[in-house]
Amino acid sequence: MTVRTRGPRTTYPLYLLPGAVAFLAVVALPFGMNVWYSLTRWQGVGTPSWAGLANYRQLIHDSQFWESFRHSLAMVLAMAVIPTVIGLVVAAALFDFVAKHYGSKPASVLRACFYLPQVLPITVAGIVWSWILAPEGGSLNALLKDVGLGSARQDWLGDPGIALYSVMAVMVWVQLGFPVVIFMSGLQRVDPALHEAAELDGTSWWQRFWHVTLPQLRPEIYVVMLWCTIAALKVFGAVYVLTKGGPAGATDVPSYFSFATFFEKTQVGYGSAIATVLTLIVLALAVVGLRFQTKAEDER
Amino acid sequence: MSKARRPIALTALALTGALLLAACGSSGGGAQGDGKTLKLWHYEAPDSAMGVAWNQAIAEFKKTHPGVKVEFEAKGFEQIQKTASMVLNSHDAPDVMEYNKGNATAGLLAKQGLLTDLTPQVTKYGWDKLLSPSVTTTSKYNAQGVMGSGQWYGVPNFGEYTMVYYNKDLFRRNGVKVPTTPAEFTAALAAFKAKGITPLADAGAEYPAQQYFYQLALTRADRAWVDSFQLYRGKADFHDPAWTYAADTFADWVSKGYIAKTSSSAKAEDAGVSFINGKYPIFFSGSWWYGRFKTENKFSWGTFLWPGTTLTPGSGGNLWVVPKNAKNKQLAYDFIDITMKKQVQNTLGNNGGVPVAADPSAITDPASKQLIENFDHVSGSDGLAFYPDWPVPGFYDVMVSAVQKLITGSAKPGDVLDQLQKAYDEGVPAS
Repeated sequence: MTVRTRGPRTTYPLYLLPGAVAFLAVVALPFGMNVWYSLTRWQGVGTPSWAGLANYRQLIHDSQFWESFRHSLAMVLAMAVIPTVIGLVVAAALFDFVAKHYGSKPASVLRACFYLPQVLPITVAGIVWSWILAPEGGSLNALLKDVGLGSARQDWLGDPGIALYSVMAVMVWVQLGFPVVIFMSGLQRVDPALHEAAELDGTSWWQRFWHVTLPQLRPEIYVVMLWCTIAALKVFGAVYVLTKGGPAGATDVPSYFSFATFFEKTQVGYGSAIATVLTLIVLALAVVGLRFQTKAEDER
Repeated sequence: MSKARRPIALTALALTGALLLAACGSSGGGAQGDGKTLKLWHYEAPDSAMGVAWNQAIAEFKKTHPGVKVEFEAKGFEQIQKTASMVLNSHDAPDVMEYNKGNATAGLLAKQGLLTDLTPQVTKYGWDKLLSPSVTTTSKYNAQGVMGSGQWYGVPNFGEYTMVYYNKDLFRRNGVKVPTTPAEFTAALAAFKAKGITPLADAGAEYPAQQYFYQLALTRADRAWVDSFQLYRGKADFHDPAWTYAADTFADWVSKGYIAKTSSSAKAEDAGVSFINGKYPIFFSGSWWYGRFKTENKFSWGTFLWPGTTLTPGSGGNLWVVPKNAKNKQLAYDFIDITMKKQVQNTLGNNGGVPVAADPSAITDPASKQLIENFDHVSGSDGLAFYPDWPVPGFYDVMVSAVQKLITGSAKPGDVLDQLQKAYDEGVPAS
């Protein structure tokens, strides 16, 4: 008698089924409904009236949306590019310098310190930062005054010329821990022989970082960049808590703009159109990022 | 499909169906209740005047309705504001609920048929006889959801209005006279500034700044102007003398240092606390601060109405509404009636609130007495001018953004008024 066992091909779909159903219910269906609402005029109650592509035509000519989108690009800089660059240097320094000279424990403690803002709820972090950055009684301005830089005091979140940079700085602080942790774990898998060989060849730390560490960490860099770019495009909580898009729209981002249009102005159709466009942009970026990542992995 | 896989597929199908149904939610409902449960939602803090009074009303309701269970759920303002339409459209609607008043809120729900027309109950219970016409404006909505006329969709049982809170100690210490006219008010601001004190506590990121701005406009306005702006009984022109005066004066006060430029990112709480801390001698805001100042101010303080005008931002308080899909409407009407009874209204008044039907002799606290007398004076002289963000949905954020520009100096008054006009015109419902 022969015992027939099911092969992987026949059983895989069953394991995927719960995930597929959940995806359908909590992602695909709401997204489909969102697209449908974006083609209507609706106040959130009553019957939506068909508007076709009118909301999208309005969006193309809405300077407020494009302004919010420009702020989004600034957020990509603050949440993806800068933390990745600083994170690489910090991770390499912790790995090559702190761990080597002071042992792995101090390096782990410092890594945890960098990661702490990622663990904090963004509302808590936002409220604390709004205290720090308060123009009167805020600790940053008090510190500047105490060290004799009183003239550098600013209304960090209230001046339209500065507010976006202040939010960006807070987001760099929030995000930095993520790349540090990923890069440090990436460094664990780099063959030490590569660094030793480079060291024997008389290279400087910087040359080793540039020619050995960076190329070896390419997959991690792709992951971090992709993850953080998507997070930057979706950023909402920090803006909501710190500035609510103000002052005078200086820190508005598409997700907050969509929220305000949807719930405050009760223009559900238009708010949905903003959300749809934002989703498509994030999706396109994710696909491009994943392609790059796959390509990089194939080349290794 | 093989027999072995069929049960799995059927299970998956059932699960999908269940999830999809759950995701779609449910609507309709409106089934009759058993008359044994009152489902009640409100969003007042338990230690606020209203919270204390409504707790008393619940206790009174239980006493007068033995065998009826009160299912009270404490909600957040934002929570109710953002989800009301969805909840009221479902079978989970409460029997009675506190809701915000105005065209963009209660008006919108009334227009969509989500609220019960309370007109017959108002007459039956005599609530209309307890409320002044000024207070009832926010209770009635027409078919377009515009307040001021039409059917009763809500019942307010407290009032609110804005006033000038001032620090008597700071006035006395700096030799500044308490103003009674607009000229004296400006002179007081200048006198404080000359002493190096920014006179006005303000918050640009939230409502206080726009209330200063609106009050300035009201000093050059009349009831017809308010009706045009709030009730669409005429054209609201943001370049008229009243709005222009408000924008120019506000910008001027910022440039003279009467309002701090650094207030652009401040929240209402920051402004109130800075007044409590004695940093600013004047704070213009609503009666909802009164109870807190009474408890927390460590200095001698007082209030007066903005000089030179009978109009002031204010209105009847939040509304008790009965959802269309409420199951136990009779119990809801009985509860509303209890909140209008003298004993509950007196509790409200003695805890720093502004009751609309209290027994004046039962209000024992002198400060509360003055607060209520001022409200009676304002509402009795048709002086409640509502709030500037009411006329169209989303106008609150537009107002915040516009007035922030005046504080930061990032736009000229004329440009700010253009911004307001555009947002207002886009939001006004087509008649």
